[in-house]
Amino acid sequence: MRVGLLKAGVTDSQAALDAVNEIESLTGQGITGLILSNSLAGVADPDLALTSLARMISSSSEQQLTRLTKTITADPMVLGRLLNVLGVSTGLADFLVRHPDIEMIADGEALAQPPQGIRNRLLLCVGADPLQEIPIAESAEESILDRLRVAYFAELIAITVRDLTGIYPMEVIAGWLSDLADATLNAGLAIGRVGVAAPRTPIAVIAMGKTGGRELNYISDVDVIFATDHSDSINDATQIARGLMRACGASTAEGSIWEVDAALRPEGKQGALVRTVESHIGYYERWASTWEFQALLKARFVAGDQMVGEQYIHGVQPFIWAAADREGFVNDVQAMRRRVEEHVDAAVADREIKLGPGGLRDIEFSVQLLQLVHGRSDVLIRSSNTIDALRALAMWGYVGRDEASKLEQSYRFLRTLEHRIQLRHLRRTHTMPTDPEELRVIARSMGITSDPATTLLEQWGRNRTEVRRIHEKLFYRPLLNAIAGLDASQARLSSAAAADRLRALGFLDPVGAMRNIEALSSGVSRRANIQRTLLPVMLSWFAQAPFPDTGLSAFRAVSDQVGTSHWYLRLLRDDSLVAERLAILLASSKYVTDLLRKAPESMAMLANNEDLVVPILGPEIDSTLKRHEDSERAVALLRAMRRRELFRISSSDALRLTDISTVGRSLTEVAEVTIGGALSSVGSEAGVDSYARVAAVGMGRFGGNELGFGSDADLMFVYEPVAGADPEVAAKSAFAQVNQMRNLLSEPADEPPMEIDTDLRPEGKNGPLVRSLDSFAAYYEKWSSPWEAQALLRARIVAGDAELGSRFEQLIAPVRYPIGGLSASALLEMRKLKARMETERLPRGIDPNRHIKLGRGGLSDVEWTIQLLQLNHANEFPELQTTETLPAIAAADKIGVLTNRDSVILAEAWTLASEVRNAIVLVKGKASDVLPIDITDLAAIAYLMGYSRSRVGQLEQDYLRATRRARGVTERVFYGKT
Amino acid sequence: MDKQAEFVLRTVEERDIRFIRLWFTDVLGALKSVAIAPAELEGAFAEGIGFDGSAIEGFARVYESDMLARPDASTFSILPWREEGPGVARMFCDIKMPDGSPSYADPRHVLKRALTKAADMGFTFYTHPEVEFYLFKGEPEPGSEPVPIDRYGYFDNAPNGLAHDFRRQAITMLEAMGISVEFSHHEGGPGQQEIDLRYADALSTADNLMTFRLAIKEVALDQGIFASFMPKPFMQHPGSGMHTHLSLFEGDTNAFYEPGAPHQLSKVARSFLAGLLVHAPEITAVTNQWVNSYKRIAGGAEAPAWVCWGRHNRSALLRVPIYKPNKANSARIEYRALDSAANPYLAFALLLSAGLKGIEEGYELPPEAEDDVWALSEVERNALGMKPLPGSLNQAIIAMESSELVAETLGEHVFDFFLRNKKAEWSEYSQQVTNWELNRYLPSL
Repeated sequence: MRVGLLKAGVTDSQAALDAVNEIESLTGQGITGLILSNSLAGVADPDLALTSLARMISSSSEQQLTRLTKTITADPMVLGRLLNVLGVSTGLADFLVRHPDIEMIADGEALAQPPQGIRNRLLLCVGADPLQEIPIAESAEESILDRLRVAYFAELIAITVRDLTGIYPMEVIAGWLSDLADATLNAGLAIGRVGVAAPRTPIAVIAMGKTGGRELNYISDVDVIFATDHSDSINDATQIARGLMRACGASTAEGSIWEVDAALRPEGKQGALVRTVESHIGYYERWASTWEFQALLKARFVAGDQMVGEQYIHGVQPFIWAAADREGFVNDVQAMRRRVEEHVDAAVADREIKLGPGGLRDIEFSVQLLQLVHGRSDVLIRSSNTIDALRALAMWGYVGRDEASKLEQSYRFLRTLEHRIQLRHLRRTHTMPTDPEELRVIARSMGITSDPATTLLEQWGRNRTEVRRIHEKLFYRPLLNAIAGLDASQARLSSAAAADRLRALGFLDPVGAMRNIEALSSGVSRRANIQRTLLPVMLSWFAQAPFPDTGLSAFRAVSDQVGTSHWYLRLLRDDSLVAERLAILLASSKYVTDLLRKAPESMAMLANNEDLVVPILGPEIDSTLKRHEDSERAVALLRAMRRRELFRISSSDALRLTDISTVGRSLTEVAEVTIGGALSSVGSEAGVDSYARVAAVGMGRFGGNELGFGSDADLMFVYEPVAGADPEVAAKSAFAQVNQMRNLLSEPADEPPMEIDTDLRPEGKNGPLVRSLDSFAAYYEKWSSPWEAQALLRARIVAGDAELGSRFEQLIAPVRYPIGGLSASALLEMRKLKARMETERLPRGIDPNRHIKLGRGGLSDVEWTIQLLQLNHANEFPELQTTETLPAIAAADKIGVLTNRDSVILAEAWTLASEVRNAIVLVKGKASDVLPIDITDLAAIAYLMGYSRSRVGQLEQDYLRATRRARGVTERVFYGKT
Repeated sequence: MDKQAEFVLRTVEERDIRFIRLWFTDVLGALKSVAIAPAELEGAFAEGIGFDGSAIEGFARVYESDMLARPDASTFSILPWREEGPGVARMFCDIKMPDGSPSYADPRHVLKRALTKAADMGFTFYTHPEVEFYLFKGEPEPGSEPVPIDRYGYFDNAPNGLAHDFRRQAITMLEAMGISVEFSHHEGGPGQQEIDLRYADALSTADNLMTFRLAIKEVALDQGIFASFMPKPFMQHPGSGMHTHLSLFEGDTNAFYEPGAPHQLSKVARSFLAGLLVHAPEITAVTNQWVNSYKRIAGGAEAPAWVCWGRHNRSALLRVPIYKPNKANSARIEYRALDSAANPYLAFALLLSAGLKGIEEGYELPPEAEDDVWALSEVERNALGMKPLPGSLNQAIIAMESSELVAETLGEHVFDFFLRNKKAEWSEYSQQVTNWELNRYLPSL
């Protein structure tokens, strides 16, 4: 016995045996253990089934028990059905324990047919005559409601039994569940009429949502709308509607059936419960929003006055399909789509069957969206049922057939899963259980018997993955089929439909987009082939980025440039990561796009994150210089290398794979080796080396390892005559070397120029471009002003002769780290200078709060503040002797010359401002120091910085807040305000 | 589109309304109005009416594009003071960006944000203002002393009845616009009036206050007199304050009330009170936003110049009224610094945020002030730990400048604009040579 039970899937054999013994003894061996264990095959939770049956029998009266035993012994199949029901749902088991009556599963022949006569049975049970045109219940008392509930659950059990046979596809079961809901609404209406002054008042119950679409769940609210014929009927009709809602929703001793939810009516919960058909139509004529039309897709008359119902359905149809002509439709649709996508991001997602990534909502919503977009001009796709609509969309070419059929399977799987989970405890839930025991039962109820829990999770995962690419499949792939003229055997989108769809997906210029798609995908070449496969998903990536149209046309341009190369095709075909990153970059960053256009082969770097980190460049440079004695040629190669590295760095920044410090260090390093290489190439070519040694001193952000994409390279140059060389010749040749290097790096050519700014040198523009070490020494001894000492804080040898460089750094140490800090007069002068800069250097007409460099709390405020502290304390605290801003702030905090709070504020503002400045260059392809006021640019910058698309304003608030706080610190620490 | 919008359209049709004024408020609390024809109304509900933000104090240059004013249908009301000729109605607007997102410069949005925060904590915020103002004979003329309409005092029944008629007409008009008036009487100064608005949620109250100020001025004009909400028009007479009762509700329950607690003040109430006390100096530049506001605070008597609270104390900044037993829902806190010329949206937002901060951080409530604060010596006040409210607009600006609470509540844009504007006002005021100076110095120096 025990073995038999275990084989049938029992987990607690002792409890099961006890139950079996109890059943045997209570039925006087009418039901034996043997029969029981033979009938357990396929039962989801045999433990539950047996204990429930024992409870059922022990709570039966003698009469009930006799009937029960008789029914079971009359037909051996009955026990199997009963155990199946008891073992799938604790809720249904509890019901059967309360009502040990199994008539509804006794008739095997009836159960082999679709359920019939539900409406009649439910009406009869509330004492209404189903043959009357307007059936009215015998009363609305609680006992009647109880009767309706008992009858309802009996019908539900009969449907469950059919469902558990596994013969019927999900949509059939969902249709029957809707039939049951329809019948229940009819009975509820009969109850609602009781006690109303004019009980025969015409009222139509229109089902919406899943009931309307005949695709109801086991446990769900039932969405309805009520309509009546005439405004005089409204009072009575409202009373009837309330009675109906109570009849179904009220919680009695027998529980509640489901809530009747009338919130989809015009004006929602604030609106009148019942309106005339005319008033409904009037509302849709004037006020309704796009989502309301989406809801109307599902409207179906189910109970009450047929004439009114038909008038209603007939009346609202035109509005649904005119929705796409309404102003704002495209915006609404995009907002709705974004809402769905944001659901996809939600953290709850992990166990969600409905809302999570690859969830049911995604399928249902996407199908409805396509219906709204295309149903206007095509009556053939207007079904209110998700599966029917999907099939129609596929049949008429709006989505691909294979995709649609795969999606349909997944949808069916997910819905079945949802049904079983809901059945388990008769609860309205869409969450996958975590308890392995529960998972096992759910899996078994779906017919998965070997390693049920794991297998179920695997299948669920597979289906979710399938659904997750739904946008690509449903929205984009058909576009391609239409535009590229693929697969003539299938129906296709018309070009008007394709344009509608592109617009709905966020392309501002659908005609241009179609032209690009066509160019990319038409023809028989290998390239066209690969691009055809790839485009649907690329289009979905473009559509998620700030500039879909630009992205698409840039993609076409790149493809025209290199489309025939093998590496390009291989890359796109084999590596979806490259394709995705390419799409994002092209549709968000002009800077990256420009670099890529110069050398499309760079896109290979996108395949690996490691390839997006700047490598050690020394060996490459050495070998370039060795190979090319001609400095023009060598520098051209250096510039190409630099462009390649800029692409690497900007791509990794735009893809948010890096942070601002790394970007700064990488850009600085690339600049260093470029200048170093150029200097050395020019020097050795001209033989300058034998007269003078030269070193380049990086200043500003260059010295601080903080270059941004828009920064010039701030530099000074120091030289020293080689021992024995004529000082004048040395001076001339050092100048020539630097000048030539600078020309070669900045002159217009294919590769992006590198601008060198030498204005920070002693005497500024009037000073010599190159100075000897002695001359620097003399100058600083005699003339140096506080701002020069301040500028020297950032001085760092970045290229050239290292030994000379280190002597230069020794030379400037006392200037930049003065003993005893700044003198009172120097401090005053520094403050005065900065104050004057604030008023004079800010461009006119610019909101000072938005100027990233010179504005309130901007880069310059932060840098001057920390530099003041460095000038004052770096001599005493060597930790402060750094050219880098963030480490200097951290050091100032550590040694206590800046409070921790202030240091956090300064670092945050500086970091955010630097990030914004880089993002501006990435978006616009050129430098700007102003936080844009154009909302499109701002949105793109926010996107690159990782803000969600609905929170563009947040970037602005964050920026203004951070800089306001920084300004407070500057005013106190730099200006000494108390 | 909702039921209310539908109602508005129907009413406009039925009542033959020819113009609809779309109202909004600039950052300083001045009412702005755009008139549209009924035909434009539908579009206004759907998308808003475009206008050039740069013309409005504090709206300029948030973005380059134009702004949209989108009417809030629930505020629809027919203006009762234009009886002759075709009807005119008004609605308050939310200011939107071209993409439909709310404008950070809109004071109404500032208050809505603060209310949302309260809602997230489970609270709704109710206010009940007592608005004081003066009535003068005729329009004010520059340089001359204003003449009040009568010379009577508190609760006097003025026999010539001018003020009486005024109040009757004003109340009738306000009630006609759906603004419930709770109480009115003759205030302490000659020609001074007080009208209390019935308590309502803070957004409705703020909208009502904007309407109220305009309605009062209209009624006065109609009767050939002049009304002013200037905080302190006379040196020798009391100023016009706007004592405001505040309460928080959780659902239908007054969250300030707790039977058995000290003074029946719940923990929420005590923390809220403490929050207001801690942050009062920072928010004063908004609750008392004009140079003249500080003349009222410095005026002695009932003016709340020190940060403290009490139950019977009419000189305390915050008063906890003794309420009638068993009236749990009337539990409230009275903030007495606010004056009648404040921007109600910003002021309510800040009062709420200060109180909520107290709840969030669990501030402790200091002991109650039982003495008349004005009668105490400075040493005594110091000993009791009583800080003064800012004594001038300048001091208030300084206190506000370093306030994270105010910046967060107002948003960076309004915060920045407000400070700049107030600094400019202070600077202009500082350059004035007053009559007082001339009278005092010219003869002797």
